[in-house]
Amino acid sequence: MREKLKVMVNIIMILIGVSFLFPMYWMLNISFKSKSEVYDNPFGLPREWVFTNYRDALEKFNFPRYLANSVIYSVGTILLTVFLGSMLAYCLSRMNWKFRGVALSYISMGLIIPVQVVIIPLLVMTRSMGLKGSRLSLILPYSAFALSSCVLMLYAFLRSLPKELEESACIDGCNIYQAFFRIVLPVIKPAITTQCVLIFMNTYNEFFLAFILGADDKIRPLTVGLLNFFVSIGVSHWGQIGAAMIITSLPTIIVYALGNEQIENALTARVVLK
Amino acid sequence: MDIIHPYMGKAHIGMLINKVMAMNRFFGNRLAIFVFSFPALLLFTVYVIYPIFPEIFISFQKNDGFRNMGFIGLKNYINVLQDKTFWRANYNTFFIVFVSTFIALPISLLFALIMDKMSEPMRRFFKFSSVFPAVVSVTVIAQMWIAVYEPMWGLLNSILRALGMDKLALAWLSDSRTVVPAIAVAFLWQYLGLNALLFYTGIKAIPKTYYEAATLDGAGFFRASLKITIPLLQDVTKYLLVISILGCMAQFAHVRIMTAGGPGDISRTVVYHMYYVAFSVSDFGRGCAIAILFVLECLLLTFIINMYVARERIEF
Repeated sequence: MREKLKVMVNIIMILIGVSFLFPMYWMLNISFKSKSEVYDNPFGLPREWVFTNYRDALEKFNFPRYLANSVIYSVGTILLTVFLGSMLAYCLSRMNWKFRGVALSYISMGLIIPVQVVIIPLLVMTRSMGLKGSRLSLILPYSAFALSSCVLMLYAFLRSLPKELEESACIDGCNIYQAFFRIVLPVIKPAITTQCVLIFMNTYNEFFLAFILGADDKIRPLTVGLLNFFVSIGVSHWGQIGAAMIITSLPTIIVYALGNEQIENALTARVVLK
Repeated sequence: MDIIHPYMGKAHIGMLINKVMAMNRFFGNRLAIFVFSFPALLLFTVYVIYPIFPEIFISFQKNDGFRNMGFIGLKNYINVLQDKTFWRANYNTFFIVFVSTFIALPISLLFALIMDKMSEPMRRFFKFSSVFPAVVSVTVIAQMWIAVYEPMWGLLNSILRALGMDKLALAWLSDSRTVVPAIAVAFLWQYLGLNALLFYTGIKAIPKTYYEAATLDGAGFFRASLKITIPLLQDVTKYLLVISILGCMAQFAHVRIMTAGGPGDISRTVVYHMYYVAFSVSDFGRGCAIAILFVLECLLLTFIINMYVARERIEF
């Protein structure tokens, strides 16, 4: 009885697991079908393999540009956030100043303010700062909204380190900047790596800000560029839609297949540290 | 740090005091504090905190996005609150929050409890596949769900027809009765596995000794889960509640891609409604009023969770 139950649960869980992957397989399947075959044979293997869907999709869909933009946004946001965030976290956790408690609560407020709330003034500000149409107009808010969780996580990590870490450096005559960059940063590298993965995933898949601030096609990332391709092609040609979906997801799939353990560790680090 | 010992010599104490003073100077370096904290605080202030002030300001104006056409007091708020679409959008948003809290999160928790009992290769497969949708871009996932709900050849209707339930094969995304649940399923499905993984991480952190006593008392999987695992997961539950509720409140992408708020304005969420009013109708004043009401709703929900869920932290 117990054994039977176990086998049943296992079978159900395998089916559920497969169902999470199935839609992607289905899209891959559709991407090789002609416009009409999707309608009368949506699930079977293609009767005739149409490879031109990929070529046609790439012609109408400026994949290299959007991919480059997505990567620029992700890398730019990571660099800016981790650089500024680690300095602030260090300053909050180790240095003695009057307002550090206040500063800590202040930065924590970012956790409960969704970016959607301030989008209208953000657009007005972007216009008046003359940043409209520049990639900085997205990197700066991405980074500002990623700061809170980055700072709080690094703060928690830094607090667990003993103060003796900098003591010897101090006695050797290092100044605080050298101590931070040469001694502290290497020690908190695991936490920083985790942050890099988290920020990358959030920024690479971000939709809302890019949709509203990225009005210019030149600065659109993949998420928004892909939507525009879908809108332009209408709902009729699913072969090309599938092809564009596969092309767009390919980088993500490769990265996830290679580094899924690290990604999972990074995603769960928030729960462990809190 | 060293302790001053009664048998220490004067010279030794002097050295120690020197050291403490040097460290205090080191960590109290005012210029360094400024250099380390100012850039991040500036960026945060400019983009996260400051915009709330012009937002409040604009919400009392008649504003088309380029010009302020005079202060009109509370008129924007009154207009918003009298607007049926706003309430419909609220209903939709809270419907998604409700489904997430009472259906999606419990399913994730159940997955996590089963994951804990799985064999290692099985667990690795399940982790990989269930987190996969959360890694793929929203645009791809939402478009995929359009194909699932496609009335003629979509996955859902094909399954229903194969099971002989032709009557149930609806046009899911253009039927006003089904469109919101359909979007909710697509959105929550994407994060089901990720939330399960987060629950599972919490379960792994519970010391095994808690279970040994329970097993001796003859408690099975269900009793042990109910009496030990779930109560001890409070912190993780609270974290996930906050994250998922705020995520559902801010829902925009799936609605935009799958239905653009349609049919008509039936499936708008609050954020989508705000976007529509501000950018399609060009009424920034009313848009800002919606945003202010929206942030109040978010703060209220966070406050409620903090009041009632896991008020004390658990240390193992």
